[in-house]
Amino acid sequence: MTTELFDLEVSLNGETIQKQIPTHLMLVDFLRDVLDLTGTKEVCGEGECGACTVLLNGLTVDSCLIFAVETHGSQIATIEGIADDETISRLQQAFIDHHSVQCGYCIPGMILSGEHILKENPHPSRSEVISAFAGNICRCTGYHKILDAVEFAHQEDHS
Amino acid sequence: MGKPLPQYMIDIKKLSGMIGIQISGTEVRIGALTSVEDIRNNQILKRHFASLTQAAEQFAGVQIRHRATIGGNICNASPAGDLLPGLYAADAELTILSKGGYRRQSIREFIIGPGKTTLKPGELLYNIHLPITGRNSKFYKLGLRQSMAISVVNLAISWESSSAGAFHFSLTSGSVAPTVVYLKHFADAVNSSPRDLDTFLPLIDKDISPITDIRATSDYRRKVLKNIVRHELKTILEAPVV
Repeated sequence: MTTELFDLEVSLNGETIQKQIPTHLMLVDFLRDVLDLTGTKEVCGEGECGACTVLLNGLTVDSCLIFAVETHGSQIATIEGIADDETISRLQQAFIDHHSVQCGYCIPGMILSGEHILKENPHPSRSEVISAFAGNICRCTGYHKILDAVEFAHQEDHS
Repeated sequence: MGKPLPQYMIDIKKLSGMIGIQISGTEVRIGALTSVEDIRNNQILKRHFASLTQAAEQFAGVQIRHRATIGGNICNASPAGDLLPGLYAADAELTILSKGGYRRQSIREFIIGPGKTTLKPGELLYNIHLPITGRNSKFYKLGLRQSMAISVVNLAISWESSSAGAFHFSLTSGSVAPTVVYLKHFADAVNSSPRDLDTFLPLIDKDISPITDIRATSDYRRKVLKNIVRHELKTILEAPVV
């Protein structure tokens, strides 16, 4: 197979990025290997675990299942775009406060899924939160502290 | 991993004319590129085709539902495809687009085996048409876990009832044969005498031919499908008529 190249332009975490990339490059590899944004993790590589979750035009997707060229002209947000140099998001702080992180490998994906549900539905029920995390697997925490953090983040939002 | 990449791939996901759900005359029309998450959240489908909504709710996880399309679920033609029993139960018809024009075919004729459809080179599944009939429907999925699971057995039931207590059921099941099948022998019997459904359950075996795979044995599938059918039909039969 010959390698075809494509001139990709995307808005990544609010910044316009232009790169020439091979057409068969997966989005997760584009983020990690080309742009050095290693906050996005690849674990299963087949859409089962959600560690590589990013936002594509505001919707959570598995970046291991998408060719980078498919995102041409789109907006992408990664974990690097959730916090800036000064502050972290309310949800990230809630993860810290609730000790929701153990090995940490699933957490960038968890944060993006959490930010997405809170944007779609600012006051989700516990069962709605569980269903929102159906595509994110964690092998350390047993999930309860992650769910607690999301619940706390939206209750805090209430007050 | 998996199959080698073909030499060329064409991304059709941004063809906006093939995305969306609308009522058109006496049918609901779904563009083939409509995402499973949009199917899950759509109020027209929730009202007229609850089994599809319920199947979409249990479909993979959010990230997959944002990318997966109804057209992909149909053309993938998996015996376990979760949207398929509801589409069969709704007597879905498909329009298929090619350079020469359109052709229309029912989903039960379109899917001919595991991974096999009548789609020819140069053809594209364009729209899914669901006639609005006023029938009720529901979906049941048995997987090894609640999310991100391939069905061990799935089932869609479509039915209407009269105030006189007569029922007319149609049952379609996946993961129990090379394609989704109608449980026709059983449905015919139970429609003539709904209260005797227990005695008719063995008729289900006439329409299914499950295999043993990593998810379940053939015998388990035969047994559990009957249990699911019995439970679901009793729930419907015992509900107060509204």
